[in-house]
Amino acid sequence: MPRQDKTAIAASLASATCSLLGTPAATPVQAQEEPGWDLNTALLYYGENDDRVQDVSLNLQAIRNFVDDRLLTLGLAVDTLTGATPSGAIPFDGPQTFTRPSARSTYTTPPNTIPLDDSFLDTRVAVNASWQQPLGRLYSIGAGLSASNEYDYMHMGANLKLSRDFNKRNTTVSAGLAIAMDDLSPVGGAPIPLSQMLGEDDRSNKTGDQSKDVFDVVVGLTQVINRNLLVQANYSYSNSSGYLNDPYKILSVVDGTSGDPVPAAPVPGEDFPSHLYLYENRPDERTKHSAYGQAKYYLSGKVLDVSYRYMTDDWEIDSHTIDARLRWPMGDRSYLEPHLRYYTQTAADFYRISLVDGEPLPSYASADYRLGEFDAVTVGMKYGWKLASGHEMSVRLEYYMQDGDAPPGQVIGNQALQELYPDLDAIIAQFSYRFGW
Amino acid sequence: MTGSRPERGLRVRRRQDHVLAEFAAMGCPCEILVDTDDESAARELANVVAREAWRVEDKFSRYLPNSVVARINGSRGLPVLVDDETAGLLDFAACLYELSERRFDISCGALRRAWVFDGASRVPDQSLIDAILQTVGWQRLEWRRPSITLRPGMEIDLGGIGKEYAVDRAVALLAAQSSIACLVNFGGDLAVVGARRDTAGWQVGIEAPGSDGRRAHRLVHLGAGAMATSGDSRRYVEVDGRRLGHILDALTGWPVDSAPRSVTVAADTCTQAGSLATLAMLHGPNAENFLLDAGVKFWVVR
Repeated sequence: MPRQDKTAIAASLASATCSLLGTPAATPVQAQEEPGWDLNTALLYYGENDDRVQDVSLNLQAIRNFVDDRLLTLGLAVDTLTGATPSGAIPFDGPQTFTRPSARSTYTTPPNTIPLDDSFLDTRVAVNASWQQPLGRLYSIGAGLSASNEYDYMHMGANLKLSRDFNKRNTTVSAGLAIAMDDLSPVGGAPIPLSQMLGEDDRSNKTGDQSKDVFDVVVGLTQVINRNLLVQANYSYSNSSGYLNDPYKILSVVDGTSGDPVPAAPVPGEDFPSHLYLYENRPDERTKHSAYGQAKYYLSGKVLDVSYRYMTDDWEIDSHTIDARLRWPMGDRSYLEPHLRYYTQTAADFYRISLVDGEPLPSYASADYRLGEFDAVTVGMKYGWKLASGHEMSVRLEYYMQDGDAPPGQVIGNQALQELYPDLDAIIAQFSYRFGW
Repeated sequence: MTGSRPERGLRVRRRQDHVLAEFAAMGCPCEILVDTDDESAARELANVVAREAWRVEDKFSRYLPNSVVARINGSRGLPVLVDDETAGLLDFAACLYELSERRFDISCGALRRAWVFDGASRVPDQSLIDAILQTVGWQRLEWRRPSITLRPGMEIDLGGIGKEYAVDRAVALLAAQSSIACLVNFGGDLAVVGARRDTAGWQVGIEAPGSDGRRAHRLVHLGAGAMATSGDSRRYVEVDGRRLGHILDALTGWPVDSAPRSVTVAADTCTQAGSLATLAMLHGPNAENFLLDAGVKFWVVR
């Protein structure tokens, strides 16, 4: 058949049908194919500067849409972590020797260098499954299970979420809760809090496995303001209890005048720590409150997504997060999405650079840089495109900069000459591929 | 549209979230799904639909001696005056004839008798096909609304458009009568009307080829409008190892080469959906491109 204007054929047919039936169709056709599986795969690389933590993870997510908005989501993540992480000990102008967490050997860090524990090597496997479905006309219910396992940590979690639509589905109110039960089996055993780091093969201050429970509640409101604007707000409460220490983090015990680490009692050989280090101790409970607001603005194909989160907890950490993304279409099949995120937090009330020799021990103390005061900025760009097959691909590249300071009142003597807070830069690269099946 | 008229009964039963009524008309199983728990209300609506299907069958089946089509086919070369409804269908057939560039033709029923689509390799003699093509064809009949004149020996057959038309008629009657959501399905050509109570629409399965209706190839959620399918994976002939479906090209007198096994189209009305599916079939290997250009939602099984 020679080529004709086929759109014109459809139009001629429509008018011929209209003459035949006497009326045009009451409602235009709405036929939506039930997608089978929607598969999202992503390969993510996270690399910190100075050969610190490197993480490669593979994420697979399979979503199955059923009729009536029922949804099954299955996820699998595998990641491999290698590299070194700051142990909490302060640098000074001499070498320092530490016992590894396994207590099988020691390692020595050079002078004027932030001590890093380089014994990290871990493979983590995480799985999750969730089910969501409407409950009657206005309610929707969802439930999920999650589990993950790595060599020193096992997580099991469950969650439940209920939401209700109001106001012709322009308003959605939701409430959810989640529980997690985690078991820790630290390498070499969990150290007795605030006990001294011992020599090689001495595990007399190590105990067995530990556990922690986390309970989260979230209530939220989503509101369609108009065709272009959607806003969301939620409040969440989170309570963690049990073993909340990082079993590998230590604090240096320092001289009250010089600020230098106090040498350990002289012991012959190299298989003992060179100085006095105590394992950290955190409270066995932490309660967080957070408020979150998000706005999505659609304008001629572009989407601006801005969010803010405020978090406060009874460890006296307050944080603010501002996140903004702008999806900018480039033609029909691709888009660019710049991303900017700013984060700032105050320090935990038991965060310490070091402990002073001779002073009474505080109940809680940690030198974990993640509990200190810092700011972080993430800048990134994502490029996504759609293939002729309908499959979607994207690449994302981001740079993360974390910058913190030691609490000025805590810096003693020579410590002022050292970089006490380990700043952090990291690169994040991700490739995603999404397809239907 | 079949010869022996089956028992005209209605079977009504309640299903999980709707009432199903079944009956036979136009040579195929017909059903109406009514989104209600009220069985008597459903029966009332089903009666409207069944009566309309039977009316269309009685009026347009070429096998029923009292039908308009039988009267036209038996006119021995004399003009026949037809009513508005019949005229509408003839106008529509003329439109399809033009849009298909003479490949879709309601006056080539004689060709259909020459071909037997039972999966075997029986091909009629080319001389027979040529002879038939000499006597049939829309261009050889005279249609001046409201008068139609066939040449002696010519026959028309509205089977290619009657079923979809009946679906659209039934849906229009339902819409005028009630706001209860319904799905009307006449042998796989279907349309929906009204908004469902608890869900957004109806789930429609597109049959997987060769599964005899047991397996859905794709599931489609139909909230409004209609879907129709052209093609039948069970009706074909084998020629030199090639499988030829039962869609005949009125220009060549042969089944369309490299036609899909089935084409399903979703459109505002069942008549449009069915016509687009048939036109796509006539495009053979280019069926998909035709439908893409037409800008409709479709599913092609090859």
